[in-house]
Amino acid sequence: MTESAISVHGLWKVFGPKAERIVKSPDADLPRGELEAKTGCVVAMRDINLEVAPGEVFVVMGLSGSGKSTLVRCLTRLIEPTAGSVTISGVDVTGADREQLLQLRRNTVSMVFQHFGLLPHRTLIDNVAFGLEVQKVDKAARRAKAEEILELVGLGGLGQRKPDQLSGGMQQRVGLGRALATDPEILLFDEPFSALDPLIRRDMQDEVIRLRSEVNKTMVFITHDLSEALRLGDRIAIMRDGKFVQVGTPEEVVGSPADDYVRNFVRDVPRSHVIAVGSVMSAPSDGDDAGTVNSTTKVRDVVPLVAHSDLPVRVVNDAGATVGSIDRVAVLSVIAGEDLHPEGSQGR
Amino acid sequence: MTATMPTRALGETPSRDTITSGHSKSRTPLIAAVVALAALAIVGFTLGHTAPTWLDAHVRPWFDSVYKWSQLNNGTNWAFRFVFHPIADAITWSNDKVLALLRALRWPGMLALTGVIGLRTGGRRAAITAVLALAGCGVLGFWDDTLITVALMLVAVGISLLVGIPLGIWAGLSLRADRVMRTILDTAQVMPAFCYLLPLVVAFGIGIPPAVMATVIYAIPPAVRLTSLGIRGVAVTSTEVGTSFGCTGPQLLTKVRLPLARRAILLGINQVIMMAFGVVVISALVGTGGLGQDVSDGLAKVNVGLAFAPGLAIVFAAVAIDRITTGERPSRRKNAIANQAIRAVLDNPRYVGAAAMTAIVGIAAVAKMTGLDDFPQSLRFDVVKPVNSLATWANDHLRNGVPIVGGTGSFSDFFVTHLLTPMRDLFQAAAWWLIIVVFAAIGWVSGGWKLATLCSVCLVGIASLRVWDLAMDTLSQVFVAVLLSVALAIPIGIWSGRSDRLERLLRPLLDAAQVMPAFVYLVPVIFLFNVGRVPGVIASVIYAIPPGIRLTSLGLRQVPYAPREAALSFGATGRQELFKVQLPLALRSIMLALNQTIIMVLSMVVIAALIGGGGLGLETVYGLRKGETGRGMAGGLAIVLLAIVLDRITQAWGKRSSGGLR
Repeated sequence: MTESAISVHGLWKVFGPKAERIVKSPDADLPRGELEAKTGCVVAMRDINLEVAPGEVFVVMGLSGSGKSTLVRCLTRLIEPTAGSVTISGVDVTGADREQLLQLRRNTVSMVFQHFGLLPHRTLIDNVAFGLEVQKVDKAARRAKAEEILELVGLGGLGQRKPDQLSGGMQQRVGLGRALATDPEILLFDEPFSALDPLIRRDMQDEVIRLRSEVNKTMVFITHDLSEALRLGDRIAIMRDGKFVQVGTPEEVVGSPADDYVRNFVRDVPRSHVIAVGSVMSAPSDGDDAGTVNSTTKVRDVVPLVAHSDLPVRVVNDAGATVGSIDRVAVLSVIAGEDLHPEGSQGR
Repeated sequence: MTATMPTRALGETPSRDTITSGHSKSRTPLIAAVVALAALAIVGFTLGHTAPTWLDAHVRPWFDSVYKWSQLNNGTNWAFRFVFHPIADAITWSNDKVLALLRALRWPGMLALTGVIGLRTGGRRAAITAVLALAGCGVLGFWDDTLITVALMLVAVGISLLVGIPLGIWAGLSLRADRVMRTILDTAQVMPAFCYLLPLVVAFGIGIPPAVMATVIYAIPPAVRLTSLGIRGVAVTSTEVGTSFGCTGPQLLTKVRLPLARRAILLGINQVIMMAFGVVVISALVGTGGLGQDVSDGLAKVNVGLAFAPGLAIVFAAVAIDRITTGERPSRRKNAIANQAIRAVLDNPRYVGAAAMTAIVGIAAVAKMTGLDDFPQSLRFDVVKPVNSLATWANDHLRNGVPIVGGTGSFSDFFVTHLLTPMRDLFQAAAWWLIIVVFAAIGWVSGGWKLATLCSVCLVGIASLRVWDLAMDTLSQVFVAVLLSVALAIPIGIWSGRSDRLERLLRPLLDAAQVMPAFVYLVPVIFLFNVGRVPGVIASVIYAIPPGIRLTSLGLRQVPYAPREAALSFGATGRQELFKVQLPLALRSIMLALNQTIIMVLSMVVIAALIGGGGLGLETVYGLRKGETGRGMAGGLAIVLLAIVLDRITQAWGKRSSGGLR
């Protein structure tokens, strides 16, 4: 396996006077209010470890104040972490000097912001070209690139408009385009769609899914919206009070929540939408079957097959070999929310 | 009089103390205050009724000797040779060049330039108003004097922006720099411009350099303040975007911060220009020539017509300058021009600028060739004589014997004998230390021991300048003028804050009033009230009312609708809504209005010395006009100390009312 695109070890962020002394001290475990009263410090993020593989979409999910925005800003040191290390594409970010950091921000990582962060005094084309302008790319070249990107995000021909002439969804397309224009390896999304209407939010999520299949970038996606996390994420980290309480695939998070907090969160998620057949199937059966599905198929999609037949459904892997079977009872128990097979909780 | 005075003052202090003790729910402060008062009373009797001679700081002889020394060592001392002289030379040189340029444009070119700038900044209407107003200066016969004043102003504005904007950027980026600068600027702004002049004359000699420097000191604060505000107001998201894409510090400044702060900076430039214009006119007292000097000469001769004509020219010039420096550029999208090529040319500011420049130079050249050097005689209209005959008529018919109102003269007499003189006698008759104790007590109640100490120190300072009685005279005028201003401005402001119709009616008046230099207000009042203390006070009231009305009305209008709606939903009447919701929530703004009123009244009362207001202002005028540096400095310093005391106390009220609010 190649090395991680992003690798984070023991990352802390403490706001307040003499923040360093809080890290790993017993004080750090005090409740928020007590710590603040005692030391004037607030721990925003404690001991975060994570590895993001190249091309992976890693979603960080948490409520406001959980430290997720701090985390994404610490990755490129928009906020200076208090302790720990960050490595991006082999570059030691936490130890980087000014020049290295500028190069990283200019060429390797781009960010999409919650409130779009478009510069109101610039036209769309100049907004998209902003990253290239900062890199001192000459005007003709960066304009050409920006035109191309605007086309890609579906805003071709609107380059001379100003941001305030656009709807929120269109503005965020520009924000997305701006992040893509520098052709970074890694895209950071800080709750990019939370300010949008539900319908437009869905469009934009589709846009991200499409982009992902077209440009294959590593993405770190911050959100407070569970369905968004489940839709987009290869893996999801649930964050609470500055800590990761669970990291896993959508299936793992929904199927076997690590604690009551996560369980509460995922309670209303229809599990059959998330859980794959492979994790609830039983041993292959010899008899007839009602049809054949891949083991990565979501349980929901087996429903039509088992609804019209009493027979179980054959489950095959990517190579086409039979790996198990699933019957009507198993499908219904997933939908009803009963416990899974013990081995199912181990995931893929 | 002496007998009644102490009881009043003593009666006032404890009553204020009971207010605080009620606040803090403890009797300790009250007891402490009584003990302190008793102690001070004992000290006071040993100090006597007037400030003791040992307190004399010998400021007057000291400044006189400094001035004498500076005149003797002007050519040899390093400070003059390497600092003051080069600065003075640079200022004189730039002023000469700017004036030469303005004159070279001739009047047609100058009007064309005004029109072009007006078109670009405010559209057609602004351009026409500005051109007509400027032409008005020529019609009145003050074309060249207007150019002299404008040139002075331009030099001062240039320096102010050159220094102020970088300082503002620094203050916008560094919290510490901001704090230091704000303290300095706050103090600079409460001082009447008048007071800067004299020390600057000592350093730079008489004439243009001190006038420009005084203007710069007065006009820099808005440049710094608004630039800093603009930079600080840039959304964190925007700077974060810049940083996240790898902007260096300078890139972040030029690509993100400055463009986003543009509006605030432009507003700052507009304010710098208007303030500079107001002060350039006043600083004419040190012999710069131009419109201000014409007014001050007219005032000195008590010739209403001679003062009125240049005063009117100042108003015209102010209107012209204001029109072409305010207002956003009109949107270009309105005039849809079909032809792509023409539109491309018209949309490119470089082409448009070049074309306009060529046109102006062309007009100037044609004017030169056809000999249109001076503003044409045939267009001039002499207002001096008609104004003077009107003034004589007013003097004959309005001063006395007008039915019911009695006439301006009898009003004036009534005002002096029943308000100004008793007030002045009251202040002057009180023992000097008693006044200090009263102010310290007010300071303590308003802002704690720190403020009390500041007030006492400043007032002791005034005593040590040996101008106590004059300061009390000025204070009594300020007191009366503030009372009148507040009594007029706050009710009108409240009314206007609740009535859109009145607001619409007042707005053009208030806008116009804001543009006028303080100086101009003196002219119409001497027309009606002749000279003396009364016209000074009335001019101050007229000068201070507009911002009072504006701030009060703004405060009321800024009260969010939600709490008012809540009050109405509980069945509050209009009056209850006003007194229980709007006024308490607008209190901070109203306190700010009071503070502004006091500062403006003070600066005007000082200028009113030019029309016989007396007091500290007269000392400064003497210092400037007769070269009595020591006397002028003592008066000027006393004004500054008085301004600090009054400003800090009213500011503390504003802070306290906001503290009680949230």
